[in-house]
Amino acid sequence: MKNIAYLLASFFILTTSFGIQSAPLSMAFDADPVSLDPHEQLSEGTLQLSHLTFDPLIRWSQNGDIEPRLATHWEQQDEVTLRLHLRKNVEFHTGNAFTAKDVIFTIQRLKRSTDFRAMFDAIRDVKQVDDFTVDVITHQTTPLLLNILTYVFPMDSKFYQGRDEIIKHGETFASKNISGTGPFILKHRESGVRLDFVRFANHWDKQSKGNVDSIKMTPIRSDSTRLAALLSGDVDFIFPISPIDIPRVKRSPNIKFIGMQSTRILLLHMNQARRVEFRDQRVRKAINLAINQSLIVEKILKGFSEPAGQLSFSQFLGHVPEIKPVYDLEKAKQLMIDAGYEKGFRISMMSPNNRYIQDERVSQAIVAMLSKINIAVDLKTLPKAQYFQEFDKRSADMMMIGWQSDTNDSNNLFEFLVACTDPNTGMGAYNASSYCNAQIDERIRAANVEMSPSLRAKLLQDIERILAKESAVVPLLWQSLAWGAKQNFKIENIVNEQNFPHIGDLVVE
Amino acid sequence: MKHINKEQVISTKSKHWIHLWHGFLSDKIAVLSLLIFTFYCLISLAAPLIAPFDVRDPSFMSLENSEIAPYWIDGDSRFLLGTDGQGRDLLSVILYGTRLSLTIGIFAVVIQGVLGICIGLIAGYFGGRLDNFLMRCADIQLSFSNMMVAIIVMALFQTVFGIASYQHLAMYILILVIGLAEWPLFARTVRASVLAEKQKEYIDAARIMGIGSGRIMFKHILPNTVSPLLVIFTIQIANAIIAEAALSFLGLGMPVTQPSLGSLISSGFSYMFSGAWWICVIPSITLIVLILVMNLLGDWLRDHLNPKVYKD
Amino acid sequence: MLHFLFRRVIQAIIVMVVISIISFLVQGRLGDPVQQMVGQSVSLEDRENLREELGLNDSLVDQYMRFAKNAIKGDLGVSYYYKEPALEVILRKVPATLELSFSAIVLIIVISIPCGVIAAIRPKSLLSKALMFFSSIGLSVPIFIIAIFLVYFFSVEWQIAPSFGRGETEVIFSFWETGFTSWDGLQHLFLPSLSLALALMPLFVRLIRSEMMEVLQSEYIKFAWAKGLSPMRIYFVHALKNTLLPIITVAGIQAGTLVAYTILTETIFQWPGMGFLFWDAISRVDTPLISAYLMVVGAMFVITNTLVDLIYGLVNPTVRLSSHGL
Repeated sequence: MKNIAYLLASFFILTTSFGIQSAPLSMAFDADPVSLDPHEQLSEGTLQLSHLTFDPLIRWSQNGDIEPRLATHWEQQDEVTLRLHLRKNVEFHTGNAFTAKDVIFTIQRLKRSTDFRAMFDAIRDVKQVDDFTVDVITHQTTPLLLNILTYVFPMDSKFYQGRDEIIKHGETFASKNISGTGPFILKHRESGVRLDFVRFANHWDKQSKGNVDSIKMTPIRSDSTRLAALLSGDVDFIFPISPIDIPRVKRSPNIKFIGMQSTRILLLHMNQARRVEFRDQRVRKAINLAINQSLIVEKILKGFSEPAGQLSFSQFLGHVPEIKPVYDLEKAKQLMIDAGYEKGFRISMMSPNNRYIQDERVSQAIVAMLSKINIAVDLKTLPKAQYFQEFDKRSADMMMIGWQSDTNDSNNLFEFLVACTDPNTGMGAYNASSYCNAQIDERIRAANVEMSPSLRAKLLQDIERILAKESAVVPLLWQSLAWGAKQNFKIENIVNEQNFPHIGDLVVE
Repeated sequence: MKHINKEQVISTKSKHWIHLWHGFLSDKIAVLSLLIFTFYCLISLAAPLIAPFDVRDPSFMSLENSEIAPYWIDGDSRFLLGTDGQGRDLLSVILYGTRLSLTIGIFAVVIQGVLGICIGLIAGYFGGRLDNFLMRCADIQLSFSNMMVAIIVMALFQTVFGIASYQHLAMYILILVIGLAEWPLFARTVRASVLAEKQKEYIDAARIMGIGSGRIMFKHILPNTVSPLLVIFTIQIANAIIAEAALSFLGLGMPVTQPSLGSLISSGFSYMFSGAWWICVIPSITLIVLILVMNLLGDWLRDHLNPKVYKD
Repeated sequence: MLHFLFRRVIQAIIVMVVISIISFLVQGRLGDPVQQMVGQSVSLEDRENLREELGLNDSLVDQYMRFAKNAIKGDLGVSYYYKEPALEVILRKVPATLELSFSAIVLIIVISIPCGVIAAIRPKSLLSKALMFFSSIGLSVPIFIIAIFLVYFFSVEWQIAPSFGRGETEVIFSFWETGFTSWDGLQHLFLPSLSLALALMPLFVRLIRSEMMEVLQSEYIKFAWAKGLSPMRIYFVHALKNTLLPIITVAGIQAGTLVAYTILTETIFQWPGMGFLFWDAISRVDTPLISAYLMVVGAMFVITNTLVDLIYGLVNPTVRLSSHGL
């Protein structure tokens, strides 16, 4: 009898406290951050960690607007100066108060980081105006300055001071210790196995409805194991869901599926330095025509991606709506005949097998498609750790790469993927086509300083048109992101196309 | 006198085998196993002739046909066992995969056998320090499990030479690695037989007649070890196929472009929860049945030939 | 006896030297360590100086001697990925693997002994035939297929067991984290240890059966019957005791297989032990970790085998003779 009363009582407490009750979250992602240093590697894992333990100055909201975080508001002082007003009464996990000094410290550190430097080279200096105001001064007019500032997660300068060296793959203070202002404090880390967080009680954002009090994050690399973990109720929230399993997830009543189109473009480079055949525009065009992007999306990605005929996603300024992926096998065969390669030729191709969604299957499908125009492909697929070494060496005639614009803008794609390779400026660093067109480089430079959106759009769209006309690369698709969670986890409100879920704001019912 | 002796030996031997064969025919499970195994061998040999599609021609993959369920579910008569995620006819890939798995299994065991028999003969025949040394090597090799050795060696091959160049040689490396990993089993069995035969008079007689040791070993001693070797041979092929499948499952075996049964199961694993179960289940059953019949055959042989297999 | 002991130790050392040479070659052969340490912009001259400093220009023998000296001190290099001494990384994962193997061994003992004994004492009964039939099939199903189907049914379809990881663990002393102390930890152990056990069990059921059948024919069992001892006592005490010795020998050999199988099981269940670490290290090309794993596992094998040999030598003097080729 007593027991029943007790049960009833606890049930009553449970139901009345509903809504303000906090909940633990157990999540499984495909990778964990390689280091605790937010500036060691520019990667999804690092930035996801940054969004948990740090707060950005500003961030992208779900609908693509810029949302104030540690910077409350800002105004343009002159052509090259942006004044940022910082949030007051913000505390780091160590208890240190957040001030302008931390922002200056962080931006200067970013300018030293090998991975972030390219983006922050645009900033000439950061000056303190008072304790909660800084001026960001650029070399020239920089239309994308705000986009760049979404990467500034102020670090606790008192905590890191004097022990803030950045060493890639090295053991440093910052790679083992972390202090930010973010909604969660890192409690425990076992690299490759788990990360434990607890909610930061003194977090400044009291408006947030988020009620996750602790996070257990596990990296699970195998798609099937990760999905099994969600289906069996072991974890509450996973990313990504393999397209193959999406129908299954949708069938499960307790699990919800959230899909979102991302701007990450997957493409193939045809190396003109290695293969004389690829210098012939007709051959490149034939390859573009022989590859059926829509079929790849439909069959391999189960419709969860967008077939691409150009690099810029439709939200980007450079997007040209008329350029669509075209599949025309007859025309492709004719072009091969015209080019004198009716009998075809044999090429080598490499792709990663654990980097992009279904990358291995996509590349296998491409082998089959190219065989229809008599191009025999020797395909090798490698894990990403080895693939990117080979990519840097340009080891194969055809190589796959995916790129997400760091600035949410077309020009970042062009600078890295199709600009003439220049080791001094870092332009064309990922151009494995050895394609080089002065007209494109000229427009990339012009777009970098053009403040008028309409003129910029024209420059960027011109680039897309030239690329399409010359069939410089083979755009394949824009990837989709797919998350899965238990029904009571309202992840639909906190995920975004950058794939930096704002878990601080996650509501659990 | 000697000649008569030899003929007598042969006739009793052949009688023994005939007797065994009759016994075999009366055991239904054994006969069925042998039939299934023969069937596997035949389809492997004839894979290029009977497979509906040529898997080596990449144009046979066609995405339009991906994930079609087997004939008895989907009713698509082009693909008896359905298709995989790439639109490859599952029957054809399984035929080629079985061919590959069996080839690797048999050749690996041939290497084990040749190596093991030679070492066993030498150790047993010459004895002394050489024998001691060789048998210690065998002990040490046995103390590392063959699967462990294979996994480590394959991993080293991949890291040292890079996956790119490894993929060309995958099949040969697999044969070599699995082949080199388990010779001691053969060596010990042969050595034990040699030690037993060596005591017998006819060997002494042969030696006195000045017949060379090589000839004695291969012509006179080796034939007496046939029955235990046959048992080991059967069971070891099954083990080699399992080892290859496990390596492929870990991504250390055959590349996706030339799938063995193990790599088919491995890539089918990702379809397990999606509803396209046949991509994983059918190759799994093919593999299990193959290993099962080999084990059953091995069991029968062991029970009826009753040889001494030295495992410890 | 001392002579025997001495020989075995020498042998163990030779084996370790061979393993260390392989590890050394792995570490040295893969890529240029200088390339890993510095960026693209460092000049050729600086690189050459660094090579000289690191001793990469010395002869291979000198380099190996240095490697061996460090290895004896327990320094097996620093993992690229974990940025910690490779040996420490591996040792931290040892408890997870040991706990998994231990649970599997317990399951094997608890299940295979009764099954084997039943199959031996009533060879004609339906139950025995069923047992033998399933053990034949069990012997033929590769462990990764067992694991996949266990996950499919127990985790995904019926949702009664977790499918990955160790769950809640508790630190007992220094680096030893155990999953035995919590219900959650035990639940997480269930599927991985079951797959390991199922993969190895059939062999033991068959072995126990055949050994037991032989023992049951022996004189002293007949004598025990004649004395009127209870059947349970005869089967499970007198007969079983005498079947166990050869079985333990086989079990010793199967220990190696168990380690190999943990790599497969840990990979499928994402069990954070040595096997999973090794598999991860391969895909990350973490050479120092791969070569350290080789050394650690090699040492484990060599030490256990030498110990087993020595104990056997003490218990059973004929072993000494047989190892001398007679």
